[in-house]
Order: sequence, then structure tokens, then C-alpha cells
Amino acid sequence: MSDILNTLPIYIALIAALLNLVRRQWSLNLIALVIQFIFIIPSLLNLYPIQIALIQPFTGIMVSLMLYLTLNETGGIEPINLTRTVTPGEIFRALAGIFLLAIILFFINDFQKAVFPTVPPQHLYLSFGLMLMGILQLGTIREPLYLAIGLLTFLSGFQLLYSALEFSYLLEALFVAVNLLLGIVGSFFIVKNAESGSE
Amino acid sequence: MNNTVLLFVALPMALGLLLIVLERWQRLSSFLAVLIPLSLSGLALVFSRSLNLTFLGQQFFLEDSLNVFGRTIQIEANQLSIIALLYFVCFLWNLPVNSFDHNHWFNSLSLIISGLWVLVQFINPFLYSALVVELIVLVCVPLLSPRGAPAKAGIMRYLTMQTLALPLILLSGWMVAGIETSPSAQALVSRGAFLVLTGFMLWAGVFPLHSWLPMLSEESQPWSFSFLLVIMQVSLTFFFLHFLNQYPWLRNLEQLGIVLKWLGTLSIFGAGVLAAFQTNLKRISSYIYMAETGYIILSLAYLPQGGLDIITMSMLPRLFGIWSLNFAISYLSKNISSEKMELEDLKGIIYRFPRTSGLLLISFLNIIGMPLFSLFPSKRIIWGIVIADNPVFQILGILGFLGFMIAILRTLNILIKKPENGEEKVEKPITILPIALIVLTMVLAGIFPQLFSAPIQNILPSFNNLFP
Repeated sequence: MSDILNTLPIYIALIAALLNLVRRQWSLNLIALVIQFIFIIPSLLNLYPIQIALIQPFTGIMVSLMLYLTLNETGGIEPINLTRTVTPGEIFRALAGIFLLAIILFFINDFQKAVFPTVPPQHLYLSFGLMLMGILQLGTIREPLYLAIGLLTFLSGFQLLYSALEFSYLLEALFVAVNLLLGIVGSFFIVKNAESGSE
Repeated sequence: MNNTVLLFVALPMALGLLLIVLERWQRLSSFLAVLIPLSLSGLALVFSRSLNLTFLGQQFFLEDSLNVFGRTIQIEANQLSIIALLYFVCFLWNLPVNSFDHNHWFNSLSLIISGLWVLVQFINPFLYSALVVELIVLVCVPLLSPRGAPAKAGIMRYLTMQTLALPLILLSGWMVAGIETSPSAQALVSRGAFLVLTGFMLWAGVFPLHSWLPMLSEESQPWSFSFLLVIMQVSLTFFFLHFLNQYPWLRNLEQLGIVLKWLGTLSIFGAGVLAAFQTNLKRISSYIYMAETGYIILSLAYLPQGGLDIITMSMLPRLFGIWSLNFAISYLSKNISSEKMELEDLKGIIYRFPRTSGLLLISFLNIIGMPLFSLFPSKRIIWGIVIADNPVFQILGILGFLGFMIAILRTLNILIKKPENGEEKVEKPITILPIALIVLTMVLAGIFPQLFSAPIQNILPSFNNLFP
């Protein structure tokens, strides 16, 4: 039972990242991003006390909110349509994402022993899963919102990994600053695109 | 403000933020953006001998460290020359900015970015600088993405590549922590070195990870873009030297020299060959920047043969060369109302803008290292060393050089073509003054190279482990 409770949040976070990679519906993507940040909390709680473990997810949720408000302001938010037909591109991205996650799962134990012996395998799986989903996202689309989501996913995976290796308040502060600026840059791009589209 | 960190990092960033508020008073903002970096550069030079200074009977003392979140940021007197150079770059680019089309954020953001690059050099543990570099990348975005245009592929690629470098640098430090005590961990050292080098290649746009460079140069205004590239090139050079100076596992790695030699030569070769086929002036200038990065890497590869001296010798001429080239490109871009700067747009421009066109061609010749110009002495030395080392590097270097010659001749061919609609000269007579000064400086620096290398010599003691 405790095994399931430990692994469930990891899979939910990864599924949320996969959903962001596959589906291109802004409101759905932002909800998935928030879910992704919420479900990394248990992994962080294994390493740090709650007041420190909440920094990263809290920043991520703030950035998601920032992106939501920008999209709302530019008229980009539409009701979620779950019945929309699946496109070949979505199938390709889904298969690529699942394939990558399966490969990491297959090699994670050996990789953990060889490179990151101090990091628990499940934590490592979540970190690398998020990083690779982020990279895949960055490589498959040019739209500003997805660039921001891709970078946030990649950085949250890396931050998760690095938090298991080293902790410093300065490092945490710098990561928070980077994430917040990333949100601002994402919003900047969204507004720019909306402005140039309406001209 | 009696602390080096507050004076050279916090104050300029705070003033940069203030300039955002003053943006509506463009003249005042521009004046301050020139005055502040010039003053900081001067102050850094004055205090570079000692942090305890007596002036007109008054004693001034600066503390050299500051605690932030439990970590110490320390800037000592002998490191202030680096700061002087970085703020000098900021001053140089702010000086003529109003003569060109530029981003309205340039004054304030240039100051903030300079402050952040200073922080990169001195944050402790210095691997955390990777995160500050990421902050700089994000702060740069408004300067690289002009108003009214959607975000294009170049800026996206730039953000992606720079972000990918962050984990590589941070992990390299963690991976080889304490490696000095276990010399048998060769595999770990190689892995760490690979991460560091790939991280730096992504940051600096080294061949073959340079794809964002030409794309971004085409999308952005040349003046802002050149500032960001030059200050990044200067800062990353020092940052890499810090790496080498601090980590014996990296500087003693046998393969490092040969890898750097190949990276440097391939960057020069790749940049030259690619530049020969370009039809856009801004893209050509980005390849010139890439080749210059190649020369810096070559100098780093030959540290035991005096590479550090070559770096200091070429630092000011290089940044001045890129400055003058972009001065000409930006001036022409504004006056012929061509944002893209396709070579076709420059048809017959030499009849309308003879002096600026001349400056463009001279800047090209200067930067590729033709005799009599400022970069010739350092390039002569580096090629002398390379030729004695490996003839393959020599052949690749010559091919790269020929590529740039072709690009220059193609530009010249377009410039002297008879225009279809009128040949009247429209250049302001006053331009003769700055252009003559710029050309004279380039020639003087070529004849008396020590004039330009002397101010940088103070930087060398900071890297005491790198002397043979």
C-alpha cells in the first residue's frame, strides 16, 4: 500500500507532463501544469521539511497562474473540449513520450547505481522523466506557451534532481528567480504574439 | 555603499531598474546610461590596486565580501579590472545608441545585464553562476525580440539552448566534487569535462551548437544583439578561465588541449565557410562573432604557449572591432530603413553612404586580422603557434579565412553596384569625425598593440594557476 502511495504521485506528475506534450489546449495544459507541480510535493517531502519542500511547487503554481492570467487577458482561454478528435501529431508525440518514459524506467536502476548512487531511483525517474518530457516539448513546437511549459517542465525536473544532490538557500532563491522570470518571458511572448496577430 | 559587491553589483542593478522608470525621459536616461557604467569602470580601475584609497586627504575603504543567503560573494582588488572591462563594454555600447534603431529598454537592461555578468564572475560557489547566466538569458529577451513582431524561431532556439546548458554546468561541479582526493577516477573526470565543455559550447554558440546565432542575429536589432554577444563572450572567457584556474582536474586533463584545438579550428572554419554563402549582412556578422569565439578557444588551448597573453592582447581590439562593425551595420540599417539587411538592400550604398560603407569594409578587414589593423598582431601569434603544431588546423584556418574573404568581396561587389534610383550622397558630413576616429584607433592598435593590451594585463594575476 505504501509503495503505491509513494509511486502514485510520480506517475500522476509524469502523466500531466505527457498530457502537456500531447494535447494542445491551453486551459487543459495549464491545469496539467498545476497538477504536475502539486504532485512533485511528495518527492520533495522525502528530502526536506514542508516549508522548504513547498517552495518549488508554489513557484510553479504562481507561474502557471501568471500564464493563465496573460492568456485570459489576450482572449486565448477556451472551454476544455475533451471530445476533440486525436490528430496524427498527437499520436506521434504520445508514443514518443511513452517510449522515452519506458526507456528511462528500464535503465533507471543501473543508471542510478552508476551515476547518482545517493538519489532514490523513484526520485531520479521523476526528475529525468520531467526533463525529457520538457526537452521533447521544446523540440516539437514553437508556440510561446508551449516553449514556456517545456522550459518549466525541464527546469522542474532538473531542480528536483539537484535538490536531491545539494541544498543551498542561495540556489533555491536563484531557481525561484529563474522560474518567475520564465513565467514573465512566457507571458511577454504570448502578449507579443497576440498583439502582432491582431495588427 | 562601502562594499565592492554592493557598489559593482547591487548598485548598477538598482540604477538599471531606476532607468526603467526614467525611460520616458529618453535623453536623461541615455545620459545616465553612459555616465553610470563609465563611472563604475573608472572606480573599478581606481580601486584595482588596493581597496584602501586616500584621495585629497580623505580615506576611502571598501569591504571585499558580502553574505547572501549564507553564501559569500567576494570581489577582491585584483579582480576589479575584470569589472572595469565589463562596465567599459556597457559604456561603449550605450555611447552612440541614440544614433541607431534600438530597443527602448536598452539603457536600463544593458546596465542590469552588466551587473549580472559581474555577479557571474564572483558568486561563491561559482558553479551557481550557471543560474545567474540563465537569469541573464531571460532578462535579455526584451532586447532580442523587437516590438511589434511575434516571437520567432531564433529567440526560442536561443532560450532552449541556453537553458540546456544550465544542468550540464551545475552537474559537472557536483560530479567531480572532491575528485582531487581520488586521482584514479579518470572516467568521472572525463564525464565532468564533457559536461563543462558542452555547457560552454551551448552558451557561447560554438560550432556545431551555433544554430541559434545566425537565426537570432537576423531577427534582432544589430546594436542590441552585438552588445549581448560581446559582453557574453568577454564574461564567458573569464568564467572559463575561473573554471580552469579553480579545477586542477580540468586543466590537467590531457585531452582538454586537443579538444579545444579542434573546437576552435572548426569554429573558425565553419564560420568562414558558412559566411561565404550568406546573403544577409547580419548573419555574416554573427559568423564573424562565432569565428572570434573560435580564436578565443584556440588561445585557451595553447595556454602553456602563452595563450593567456594572447587573450589579453586580443580582448580590447576584438570588442572594439565588433563594436565598429556593428556601428556601421546599425547606422546603415537605420538610414536605408532596412531591418533585415539583406545584401540586396545594400546595392550601390557606397555612393550614398561612402564613409559608413568604408567603415563597414575596414571593420571587416580589421576583424578577420588583416595586417595594419588591430587584430593582426594577436592573430599572427596564434597562427604561428597553430602552424607549428598541426598542419590540419592550418588548412582549416586558411579555408575559414578564405570564406570570410569571399563574404567581404561579395559585400563589396553589392556595395559598388550602380543603384537604379539616384546616387545622391545623403550621409551627414559630421559622420567623418567618429568614423575617422574609429579607423585611426584600429590602425594605432595594430601598430602599437601594447596600447590595447596593457589595461587588461592587471587581470592576469587572478588566474595564477594557469601560468606555465
